[in-house]
Amino acid sequence: MSAILDDLALLSVTGAADAFAKGEAKAEALVSACLARIDAHDVKVNSVIRLDREAALEAAQALDKARAAGEKPGPLAGVPMMHKDMYYRAGKVSTCGSKIRRDFKPSVTATVLQRLDAAGAIDMGTLNMAEFAQNPTGHNAHYGDCHNPWSLPYCTGGSSSGSGAGVAARFFACALGSDTGGSIRLPAGICGVTGIKGTQTRVPRTGVMPLSFSMDNVGPLTRTARDAARVMTVISGADGTDQTAAPESVPDYEAALTGDISGLRIAVPREWFFYKADDIVVKTFEAALEVLKARGATVDYVSAPSLAAIGTYTAVISRVEGATIHANWMREHPGDYAIHLSGRLFGGYAIPGHYYLEALSRRGPLLRQFCKEAMADYDIVATPTLRMRVPTLAETDIDKDAEANWARHMVVSANTRPFNYLGLPTVSIPVGFDDRGLPVGMQLSARPFGEAKALKVADAYQRDTDWHARVPTL
Amino acid sequence: MATDPVPQIAEAIRLWSGVTCPNAAGKRGLEDFCALIKDFEAQRGTLVFEDEPSTFEAALRAEAESEA
Repeated sequence: MSAILDDLALLSVTGAADAFAKGEAKAEALVSACLARIDAHDVKVNSVIRLDREAALEAAQALDKARAAGEKPGPLAGVPMMHKDMYYRAGKVSTCGSKIRRDFKPSVTATVLQRLDAAGAIDMGTLNMAEFAQNPTGHNAHYGDCHNPWSLPYCTGGSSSGSGAGVAARFFACALGSDTGGSIRLPAGICGVTGIKGTQTRVPRTGVMPLSFSMDNVGPLTRTARDAARVMTVISGADGTDQTAAPESVPDYEAALTGDISGLRIAVPREWFFYKADDIVVKTFEAALEVLKARGATVDYVSAPSLAAIGTYTAVISRVEGATIHANWMREHPGDYAIHLSGRLFGGYAIPGHYYLEALSRRGPLLRQFCKEAMADYDIVATPTLRMRVPTLAETDIDKDAEANWARHMVVSANTRPFNYLGLPTVSIPVGFDDRGLPVGMQLSARPFGEAKALKVADAYQRDTDWHARVPTL
Repeated sequence: MATDPVPQIAEAIRLWSGVTCPNAAGKRGLEDFCALIKDFEAQRGTLVFEDEPSTFEAALRAEAESEA
């Protein structure tokens, strides 16, 4: 691969969009650079399920022509993207990472894909993921496991495995993931990129595979907080079809990224998030807090309420809703699921209806309590994305050895799940590496509809560090 | 619990939902239910009579970030 093509593949979302807008790079060259990098390296990473090479190049050529004709480019014009294989595009197969939907062709196109198309983004195809987005490590029995670009024996985090690995490997500048228990923030944290799930209801889910309708979120994985801000501005806001989508107006998230966080108050909960945490994770997280303090933020350790209850309720909601959605296939094709997934779904049918309703009904009161007790005097809650060092694929593979790996597999998402139940906007950013050279992530959570504030802190951190700019050697 | 509840739970699922236990992982999932029941026991009394699922959307708005 030529150095020029490789340089173009390294561009961020805003870098690629700005280069296209200024006429410094053609869309066709941007796409070609990413395709060449995928051709060279994805055989090791296994992030791609379907590569739409010709369609992407044609879309890029059309953009180049439009620009040459004087058309004003959109905010994401020329930016190469690929997305988790659960965003429907009419007439194109969306496998959802499964055998069951191996040939499924939806008749609708997801609202978020329509919005990205309209903003000029170029969709190059679909990405590997946990089967039906149902595990936190990214294992996939049907399409093969995705590998961490920083060290191939290690897991990528899931369920948006290809999204995290591909952005880290510089195969594309941005990928949509989905987040029901951490599936954007985990691969972001584990692969060393930036990922955000917005406030519950912030981004419409029309045309997106459901997992748990109460807690599903759509969001981007990118290299920088600025990239994530630009994409969130494009994809957020009610679409008139998803009746759960919030009608609140969408601010320009990028405009909030001033770098000024002086006086901003950060809370770090003492409970839950540090339980049996690895020392290297705690030390790296604390070093990241020092960077924010040096920019003028204050940091206090606080007590956060009811996290054990939140953990229990979260599990009940996701299991019951998942079991409901999959009931027909569990009756007719249970053998078509990976072992761990059919096993997990099966348990959902045993949970009493009143447990489920209690879990949903306590959600509002527990959100109010969390905001009152942990956030009343604070702007941001900061936590490690993962308590432990990044595990290997082998030591979290519960299909091969459930006895040995079950506990390690389940704890992967322990720190991300509470923010799905609470519905709080949360971004994960890379803040360093552990002693084995794998990334460490930090979550920044804001009050509901406070995406701009979480992204502002993330961007401020990235102004003083270069973890997000480092590129794995493949 | 005095007796192993797993066979009874699996039979109840078959009866109510028409889904049979697919594999050992399914059985393992049911074994976790004793812990889940204990977790719920710990929460008894916290649900308020008027609480309902729609309070969540209301709470999101009530607790919204005020700074744009």
